[in-house]
Amino acid sequence: MIMDTTDTGVTDMVPTPPGPVEPAAELSATINGKVVAGRAGETILECARRHEVYIPTLCELHDIDHAPGTCRVCLVEIKMPHADKTHLVASCTTPMQDGLEINTRTPELREMQRLQVELLLADHDQDCATCIRHGKCDLQDVAQFVGLRQNRFFDPARVAARPVDESSPALIRNMKRCIRCQRCIAICRDGQGVDALIQINSGLDTAVGLRHGLTQKNSACVTCGQCVLVCPTGALGERDETDRALEMMYDPELVTVVQFAPAVRVGFGEEFGLPPGTNVEGQIITALRKLGASIVLDTNWGADLVIMEEGTELLHRIAERKKPTFSSCCPAWINFVERHYPDIMPMLSSTKSPQQCVGTLAKTYLPERMGIDPARIRVISIMPCTAKKDEIVRRQLVHDGVPEVDVVLTTREFARMLQRERIDLKSLPPSTFDNPYMSEYSGAGAIFGTTGGVMEAAIRTMYYVVNGHELEHVEIEQLRGFEGVRTATVELGGAVGTVKIAMCHGLKPTRQIVEEVRSGKSDLDFIEIMACPGGCVDGGGTLRSKKAYLPHALKRRATLFGIDKNRKVRQSHRNEQVQALYRDYLGHPNSEKAHHLLHTYYTDRKIEMTQTVREVWADLKMNGKVY
Amino acid sequence: MTEVSYGVWDGVVYDNRDGASSLRENTFPTLANVDSFDPHNRIRAFFGDRGFFIFDDGVSLIDALWRQMDEAADQSCGKCTPCRMGTVLVRDALDALRHGRRSPLGLGEIEMLAEQMTATSMCGLGQTCARALLAALRSFREVIEAEIARGAQPEQHGMAYMTAPCIEACPSRINVPRYIDYIRDGKPEHSLGVILQKYPMAATCGRVCVRFCEMACRRKFVDEAVGIKTLKRYVADQQTGPRALTFGRELIAQPLGADMRVAVVGAGPAGVSCAYHLLLHGYHVDILEAMDEPGGMAAIGIPSYRLPKHVLHAETDIITELGGRFLFKRALGHDFSIDDLFARGYRAVFLAIGCQQGIRLGVENEDPEMPGYKSGIGFLLEVHDHVAGLKTVTLSGDVVVVGGGNVAMDCARSALRMGAERVHVVYRRTREDMPADSEEVEAAIAEGVVFHFLTNPVRIVDQDGRITGVEIATMRQTAPDGRGRRNVEAVPGTERIMSCATLIAAIGQQVVKGALTPEDGIKFDRWNCVAVDQTDLATSRPGVFAGGDCASGPSTLIHAMANGLKAARSIDDWIRKGHTCFQPRTRMRQILNDNRMLADDAVEVPVKPQYRVHHPELDPTVRKLMFEEVEQTISPEQAYREAKRCMRCYRTYSVITEHAIPEGA
Repeated sequence: MIMDTTDTGVTDMVPTPPGPVEPAAELSATINGKVVAGRAGETILECARRHEVYIPTLCELHDIDHAPGTCRVCLVEIKMPHADKTHLVASCTTPMQDGLEINTRTPELREMQRLQVELLLADHDQDCATCIRHGKCDLQDVAQFVGLRQNRFFDPARVAARPVDESSPALIRNMKRCIRCQRCIAICRDGQGVDALIQINSGLDTAVGLRHGLTQKNSACVTCGQCVLVCPTGALGERDETDRALEMMYDPELVTVVQFAPAVRVGFGEEFGLPPGTNVEGQIITALRKLGASIVLDTNWGADLVIMEEGTELLHRIAERKKPTFSSCCPAWINFVERHYPDIMPMLSSTKSPQQCVGTLAKTYLPERMGIDPARIRVISIMPCTAKKDEIVRRQLVHDGVPEVDVVLTTREFARMLQRERIDLKSLPPSTFDNPYMSEYSGAGAIFGTTGGVMEAAIRTMYYVVNGHELEHVEIEQLRGFEGVRTATVELGGAVGTVKIAMCHGLKPTRQIVEEVRSGKSDLDFIEIMACPGGCVDGGGTLRSKKAYLPHALKRRATLFGIDKNRKVRQSHRNEQVQALYRDYLGHPNSEKAHHLLHTYYTDRKIEMTQTVREVWADLKMNGKVY
Repeated sequence: MTEVSYGVWDGVVYDNRDGASSLRENTFPTLANVDSFDPHNRIRAFFGDRGFFIFDDGVSLIDALWRQMDEAADQSCGKCTPCRMGTVLVRDALDALRHGRRSPLGLGEIEMLAEQMTATSMCGLGQTCARALLAALRSFREVIEAEIARGAQPEQHGMAYMTAPCIEACPSRINVPRYIDYIRDGKPEHSLGVILQKYPMAATCGRVCVRFCEMACRRKFVDEAVGIKTLKRYVADQQTGPRALTFGRELIAQPLGADMRVAVVGAGPAGVSCAYHLLLHGYHVDILEAMDEPGGMAAIGIPSYRLPKHVLHAETDIITELGGRFLFKRALGHDFSIDDLFARGYRAVFLAIGCQQGIRLGVENEDPEMPGYKSGIGFLLEVHDHVAGLKTVTLSGDVVVVGGGNVAMDCARSALRMGAERVHVVYRRTREDMPADSEEVEAAIAEGVVFHFLTNPVRIVDQDGRITGVEIATMRQTAPDGRGRRNVEAVPGTERIMSCATLIAAIGQQVVKGALTPEDGIKFDRWNCVAVDQTDLATSRPGVFAGGDCASGPSTLIHAMANGLKAARSIDDWIRKGHTCFQPRTRMRQILNDNRMLADDAVEVPVKPQYRVHHPELDPTVRKLMFEEVEQTISPEQAYREAKRCMRCYRTYSVITEHAIPEGA
């Protein structure tokens, strides 16, 4: 059925399997007196790591090729061949050289590393106990690693006036905790290509801000949250809503309906000491019931439903020769379109995301079936995503003041909630979903959490709709690559014939494909976009790692494919609870009622800023300023 | 001659405080031109990146070192740990000490922080700002301790000045590291803002500047100089289209009365730059221009494949946006005189009429009227009219261009585009001696221009009054003279004929004859340029200032624009105060320059090589046939990458003087 697939494009920032080619050692140096083989072009830090010599680091993040050299903690002492004196250099930016004598451990050096961290703390919010990152903070770690024992220079007055941007429903940016590593800027600029974050001010006031001095809420930021994943401290984080969620669950007057996303179950076990990629779906259900959730639903069910709606919509659009159609389940992608490319809004599928489909039906269909007063229902979502927090307050998705989904908790907040209630996920017995209306899912719904999953699920169902029989090999391996942009040609048969599709993850490759579409160079029919590299399994709301970026991407993905493989039902249209929904409530896909409940629209929110020279001059910081 | 009392420079300790010479094994350095800062204002001490000199024992070291650190803390970019916090902690401690208050830090801690900054900071600012402090603490600690014991320090006068090799090399003193920083920070509009502080023609400069800054760039010790011009063009080109920065009258802080009018003669880079600054100072400015478009040599002297006309005009339009007026087709000496300008009520005049008359080769049988003979500037004017669609010009056969400057390169490359079969450049010295930009030479070679170095024309050959060739001779270099400069001389017997249909003499230009008459009261210098006082660009006639090529001889765009700013300051002072004023920053630069303070020191530790980005270019085989812009703008990704190459070689200097230093710009 698949005629052709190609991997085009950008693979930056995406984990790749280690290459088999080991370049030959080209130079010889010593580290702490021991001879080491260095490679041309590598830094001292890279060489030291290869030889298992530990050098404390803070701002550097190897996985995204980021070494701004700003923290100055990774100091080493070097002596060049034939030189009579030594120099101190930052090992993360200094290249290896033949004959270099490197010392990582002299007493003077250790003292300077200690002083460096002490200076970092001199204007860093010291209220660690209230910090979202407490106990999981790279700055705390490095203070321990360098043996910091005093804090002579801290002055709270220096921290007091630092900006804290709480405007966004999704992200909080607290500059009292920033250490100016610039990782967030790098991931936003080079990784995602959004380029919303900039460096503002100078001297002690240097901080990270949004372009043109805008607030997070009103800026070009799409709330993908990748910046949160790389932040070494608590400077960036999600808006914590664990208390709101707990209050709802404790309120006896309310019926709390909790749903969790496809990717959450495979990216949560690590927090409790389970191997990365473990499927903890059953334990999550148990935990939610222990916490007091009244009804536990599965967003996977919503994913199956989305396939019915979006697949039908897509076939209509293909018949009308409208192309391409972009998927619409990723809220950061929707923000990206509305903020950066509003002209392509007509190409977006109108189908709501699985979270919103579940939310809206949990307040209409579900109470009708179960005989509950809809006003008592509160919907809580657990999502691997920060943008989902932004999505639920979209005015299109709030009706007469009642949101379809009331609270979104990121995977991180859910972990925090369990810690607060002292629930050890690892020791919980697994349970199963028991809601007879909105919790069953097919293998197609399960793979929504990874790049290419939506596409694969859609093709399984569209093939059936067009041909009246199931696709023979449901696992479409050709779609399962990991490159930034993958395209394929699919023979759907029947009246539709051949369709050209693309799957894209990460916003940098996305921008590339959008530009191609806008310039008329693309002949694609359907394009799946996931804003986060890897898809939802590596979303901005997933658990943070220290000194690593997306380390578990492939393991989480493999587990999702495993779930699909082991499902009896592997096509969305064969989900019996979805079939019942259409039979008993909606009629058929894209029916009027379905349109009313499950489809939405988009608005132009492009940031158009023009500045005057006067404004820019007022903000210049330099000596020799004339005006 | 001011004598050093004590100090440390490059690690060498000088001490002559007791007047005796017990410690005289270190010879005192001879410092030039440091007796007084401004007239009757003695320099008491000098502090810099390599150490300090005290000329007057009464100077408070603590106060002087505070001044040095205060400037560093104020200018720190705040990204790397030791500099951002170290400068502030040390400044605050020194500030407490100079006021006789208890310092939050002891001298030991101050020294520790100074060492930390010097040894571990990321850029030149942090690495060098505490060196004088460290030297003082190590070699003259007892002086500091005695000062602390005395309590509050006497009030001292002085100033601090932060600069970098690239800034000092630039005639306009653009704060290069700062504008590169702003790109790195993600603020290209701020980057452009830095440039616009000095002149309005950023996109033009970003295309055609000769880049003194890049020659001074210390990155060359690692790999290649930072692409400063490329980045300038990037930020300038970013600001075109709907998101462009907007200029407007609101930029003018204090608009002046209707009688505050200034006439600028010549709409070239010097005139436009001067008008821009005068407008920003609130004056009403008219620019009188002989041609019917603005830009001067930038419009007619630079072919459109290097500088498209719309780019230039977008920038000269800024003058109109600020309320200035262009009065075209008004030629000095022909349509009006200097007297006329004053009679019309202009309070001052800036002469920026350029050097637009070609200089003859001075060879046998040279007749500018002879068909086939063209001057460089005359030919470029034809090219300009051709591209503008005013008058079609075609060349055929071989063209010989004489000269080795940028005008010669422009002529050669334009001649190819006008249909010449082959273009030869004849230059009497070696390729290394060519004043032209080496990129221009390379581009010409890529496009097929044939170069003849150490070759000189001796006679023009004609047939029936039309040029058919030029007789040339081979030159050889003579032994270096006293200053190490080698001259050239003809090798006898090497004369031969090079045939050509067109000969372009592009060896230089001069002020157009007849523009200024004796009645104008403007004196010329011995090179036939308008004589000016270099400090304020005043001419021999009060109220008339001159700059750009007409005052200096043919020079660079950046030099002309720098002159425009200088003249605007002088004119502002002259109109308001009746005299021009002392410029402290200029004086500071003079001290640095006279004493070679800004060492061109190599980079001592390994730095990861990151080779510079290059402009995407049109293919030479295609581009040599047309006048489309050859170089294209770099992408944001490339700009971010290139900006990261800057090592920010900032250094801080300060003086302590007897009296307060008058305010300047």
